[in-house]
Amino acid sequence: MTFAVSTATRPATSDMVRRLPEYLMIWVPLLLSAAHLIAFSLWTIWISFTPSTLVPVSGWVGLRNYNVVIASRNWQIAFDNLLLFGSAFVLLSLVTGLVLAILLDQRIRGENVLRSIFLYPLAVSFVVTGTVWSWLLNPGLGIQKLVHDLGWISFRFDWLIDRDMAIWTIVIAAIWQSSGFAMALFLAGLRSVDADLIKAAQIDGAGPIRMYRRVILPTLWPITITVIVIQLQFAISTFDLVRALTNGGPGIATQLPALVVYDLMFQRSLLGRGAAAAVLMLLILLAVLLPYAAWRYVQRRRAIHA
Amino acid sequence: MPVTTTRRQLLAGSAAALALPAFARAQSAVKPRLTAISQWSAGSDGAAITALGKKFEEKGGVWQHSPVPGFTTEMMNKLRAQIIAGDPPACSQLKGPEIAAWSKIAPTVDLDAVVAAAGYEKVVAPDLAKLHKPAGKWIALPLQIYSTNMLFLSKRAMDKAKADKIPVTWADFNELAEKMKAGGVAYPVANGGTRPDDGQKFEAALAGISPTVYRTAIMNLDTKALQGPEIKAAFAQVRKIADWMDPNVGAQHFSTNLKRFIEADMGMMIMGGWAQGVLRNAGFKFEDFIIAPGPSDNGKPVFLLNADAFIFWQRKEADLQAGQTLMAQLVMDPAIQTMYSQITGSIPVRTDVDLSGEGWSDGQRRTAAALKDAIASNQAVLSLAHNMAQENGLTAAMIDVITEYVKNKTIKPEQAATRLAEAVESAR
Repeated sequence: MTFAVSTATRPATSDMVRRLPEYLMIWVPLLLSAAHLIAFSLWTIWISFTPSTLVPVSGWVGLRNYNVVIASRNWQIAFDNLLLFGSAFVLLSLVTGLVLAILLDQRIRGENVLRSIFLYPLAVSFVVTGTVWSWLLNPGLGIQKLVHDLGWISFRFDWLIDRDMAIWTIVIAAIWQSSGFAMALFLAGLRSVDADLIKAAQIDGAGPIRMYRRVILPTLWPITITVIVIQLQFAISTFDLVRALTNGGPGIATQLPALVVYDLMFQRSLLGRGAAAAVLMLLILLAVLLPYAAWRYVQRRRAIHA
Repeated sequence: MPVTTTRRQLLAGSAAALALPAFARAQSAVKPRLTAISQWSAGSDGAAITALGKKFEEKGGVWQHSPVPGFTTEMMNKLRAQIIAGDPPACSQLKGPEIAAWSKIAPTVDLDAVVAAAGYEKVVAPDLAKLHKPAGKWIALPLQIYSTNMLFLSKRAMDKAKADKIPVTWADFNELAEKMKAGGVAYPVANGGTRPDDGQKFEAALAGISPTVYRTAIMNLDTKALQGPEIKAAFAQVRKIADWMDPNVGAQHFSTNLKRFIEADMGMMIMGGWAQGVLRNAGFKFEDFIIAPGPSDNGKPVFLLNADAFIFWQRKEADLQAGQTLMAQLVMDPAIQTMYSQITGSIPVRTDVDLSGEGWSDGQRRTAAALKDAIASNQAVLSLAHNMAQENGLTAAMIDVITEYVKNKTIKPEQAATRLAEAVESAR
């Protein structure tokens, strides 16, 4: 009885109590991970200004670590590779994902099975993807040998050991891994296009190609941007895939920033320089994420005003 | 009659029960225990350290070894984490100049007394001893020695080349490689594609051309020597070697291709003595291959030293301290070193171990003889590729240049030499 009375007089509190599990479920993990993220980012930034080598030490060396990292051949190669890998991977996985999604959207039989097949690579860890592709692409063991054994002796597919082309093997493996993800998002987008819009276009006599170009695809561009941003942040932080596939080789031809960070911190025991490289990576990431956040903000403002 | 138990009795009883295990522990407080980490988890390395653990247990100790598979640096990551957490292992694998570097970040055990008691100092090569007592006191103990520039010859490839002479100089080596090529051996040089692999090709070339320059340029980082003609000559020799290797190996480990080596698809292998253990572990026979010292242009063997070692970290626990003493005694014991080296294919650290008996291979006997000769002619130098000559940061900077050179045939030897000198400057 007393309980009932108290609820009647203080409904707000009781509501809070009733929803406490929900708050706990959301806020505790959120705050913990935010604290982790922020605390360790700040710590890394601090370390990047110290002369730390084997273990973290205090001290101040200003921008020396940054200057050394940016001037190093490893970082320059890694940065160039990131530009090439990032743009090629994002663009190609976007196109592959979109084409797959459009093909699957034709109400074909066995769609569920096909969708699972295309999505399946996403469930495989990058190390596995990298290892499998490293065997497939190895000219002495994989595709090239298969074609040679079939009789086409002059066939060459040795990108894995060609320093100029090796970065493309990472693009291939990354696309195989994640174009299914782009496909899934695009498919959801395609399915959510207003049926009336399609009907109207049909009545106006639009053929399938024209319909996709003029009616359906323009509605997909918010999804496209989401896919681009997610794939870009994946590209920037790529580590395990390239480590398993080429390990930065041949030589140091396929270095990527994350490999440089790991190499400096843990192989060379230069914590300060590794931290500086990590902060540089964070800056590259922010260069992608901040415009995206700004774009989202503008979108929301527009939606509210409209 | 009902049993009545007062609360006081119950308390006393449970207190006694709780105290019992502690009492038992106190009784055998001297039971030595050792927490150890190393990278040796599988193959002959894993077998050897497991055998060492068995011996430790036979002496009444508790053996707690946690292997961290992979390259040495991965083991170091665990070690670093444990040291930062204030909980270092009683003993860990560590070698070369890293012993000096790491001993500055956490207190180590002074082993002088136990080393003196064993009379160990007299039987260890002086250069090697220096690495294990960076501040004048023994804090680490070498366990086994490898030469990183042993030359492995495939018997069947030799037959194909109709050759039976073991090459002594680089000119001999190059001649034999040409013969093998002509005789139908597809790739006269067997190899893996890892960074240490590439580094070994270079250090073997340079030390073989001039051990003196190797010492001044690579070990002492003399700028003038680093730009000298011998470095260019070494890079030129590495280019020849690279041209004889299978380019398709990508980033594979050398052990992937051992079968092709034995079957004469590949002919010669410049590899550390540990390859013997790996070959034997893979089921190949001593008749399948020949082991000889790496090419040396002055005819006297050059020995590129790589020595595995254990460093001992200070612990307060009495049982761990007892374990450290027992471990140190075992590591210095000639019988243990014999057992260990016979499993892994290395040679013992002690120069007074007799290798004429059964269980040793010709290759090991040749390696031990080479070490003796090399020490006598001052041609025993420390390996770069296996982190004995320099600390990790400098080593990695130099290997960057070497590995890129091995894989990129458009780089000229002169360019590589300049880049090597630059890499040393910027990493110093």
